Amino acid sequence: MIEFRDVNKTYSTGTKAVKNANFTIDKGEFAFLVGSSGSGKSTLIKLILKEEEPTSGSIIINGKDTTFLKQKKIPFLRRSMGVVFQDFRLLPDKTVYENVAFAMYVVGATPKHIRRQVPMVLSLVGLSAKAKMYPNELSGGEQQRVALARALVNNPSMLIADEPTGNLDPNTAWEIMTLLNDINLRGTTIVVATHAKEIVDQMKKRVIQIQKGEIIRDDKKGGYNCEV
Amino acid sequence: MKYNVLNYLLGEGIRSVFKNKKSTAVALMTMCATMFIFGIFFAATQNINSFVDTIKNEQAIQVNIKRTANDEEVAKLKEEIEKIDGVATVTLRTKEEFLESLKEQFKEKAYLLEDYEKNNIFSNAYIVTFSNLEEIEGIQAQVGKLENVSSTKDANKSVNVLLNVARGIKFITIGLLALLIIISVVIISNTIKLTVYARRKEISIMKYVGATNNFIRFPFVIEGIIIGVISGALTLLLVGGAYNLLMSQMMNSTTLQSMGLELVRFSDMFSLLVTVYLILGIGIGILGSTRSMKKYLEV
Repeated sequence: MIEFRDVNKTYSTGTKAVKNANFTIDKGEFAFLVGSSGSGKSTLIKLILKEEEPTSGSIIINGKDTTFLKQKKIPFLRRSMGVVFQDFRLLPDKTVYENVAFAMYVVGATPKHIRRQVPMVLSLVGLSAKAKMYPNELSGGEQQRVALARALVNNPSMLIADEPTGNLDPNTAWEIMTLLNDINLRGTTIVVATHAKEIVDQMKKRVIQIQKGEIIRDDKKGGYNCEV
Repeated sequence: MKYNVLNYLLGEGIRSVFKNKKSTAVALMTMCATMFIFGIFFAATQNINSFVDTIKNEQAIQVNIKRTANDEEVAKLKEEIEKIDGVATVTLRTKEEFLESLKEQFKEKAYLLEDYEKNNIFSNAYIVTFSNLEEIEGIQAQVGKLENVSSTKDANKSVNVLLNVARGIKFITIGLLALLIIISVVIISNTIKLTVYARRKEISIMKYVGATNNFIRFPFVIEGIIIGVISGALTLLLVGGAYNLLMSQMMNSTTLQSMGLELVRFSDMFSLLVTVYLILGIGIGILGSTRSMKKYLEV
């Protein structure tokens, strides 16, 4: 599903953000990417999303080497993955429904398909009742649910979350993580970059720890700071 | 592209034009101003071209034929002249016809010419007209060298001046057109840059959910085209109004009438001007919007 082979990333400023990364995340897996700020987590996410190019090595996604993927093909790669961010990134002048439908418009879905799919995803994240509200009328947790709905609406095979609970209080964070777990149980591969130590410790999922650009730990059922 | 997607994108583009009223207005006004100046020069070129056409038909040189030439040689000379590139017509004017025309000019003093009736000292001549005025001098020299030509007499030297003016104005119009395109592209890109900047978040989200660059670009291109076409239409009205006003003032100009010249009617250049403005509007719209988007599409 996601495979990194000897991936290095050095920014033009000289910062070595990722050093010799090797790992494979299989279909249907749930993996945490942990590490302190500036450790290289975000760069890993950006490499998966093809927002950044690796300096060397190759990244294989869904069996395809994306290293030499043409610029024009990138949108189609991204359609196979949903993304959520710490800051939700919702469109303030669109309702919850429109925010989710927007992602379908973008990939050229038919109105009929959109009318059927959007309510379904909204009910999955528990926001059916708030479809007509605007993002500023929602709590942070609800906004992140909308973002999740938007990421899922096109049925991606994997979901990438960059600090999805960073702006949420612990209870709400748990709700989001539980939701991510539910989505994972439905077969979607999930990669979560996070700081949330407690959550990682309790969920007992795979943990890939990165420090100063190097992967220092890869535990099948680890905690945030397990001894090696 | 599917119909519903196209619909959605068109709607987005149109919405944006009216959403950013101020920057749209600024772009409209500046484009109108530049297009107006171009329109004026365009009209001037059209008129000068029409003047040149009118005068062209009146321009001719007289080729005097040697008296010693017999009928056969005279006929052969005609063929030779007709073969020269740029010659439109060759007509024979006999010495008798020339005398008649002189008499008409002399009016009541025509009796002075009576002696010539018996002894016509004039020569037969060919009147040569041209399809391309710029080559008159070359053709005249060529004709002068032919057998049985005694001399050539050119018509009106002032045509050269007019030709130079026409050429000058044409260059200015082309230069202005280039300048207009550059200025308008910059203005439109800046207008759209503002829209793009305001919507950069939306664009980055579109990129993350897998929108193609063309999909993202399309509404902005539509916005550019709408601004371009509206300014084209407005300018057309302005130029038309100004031109008709000017024309009504100059209709009675004695200088033009004495030269037998007429101004081109605006309706006669309308379709050409519409085409030019449409191409300009759409072209500038597309160029301006794609230029301003570049930076934001590299995610």
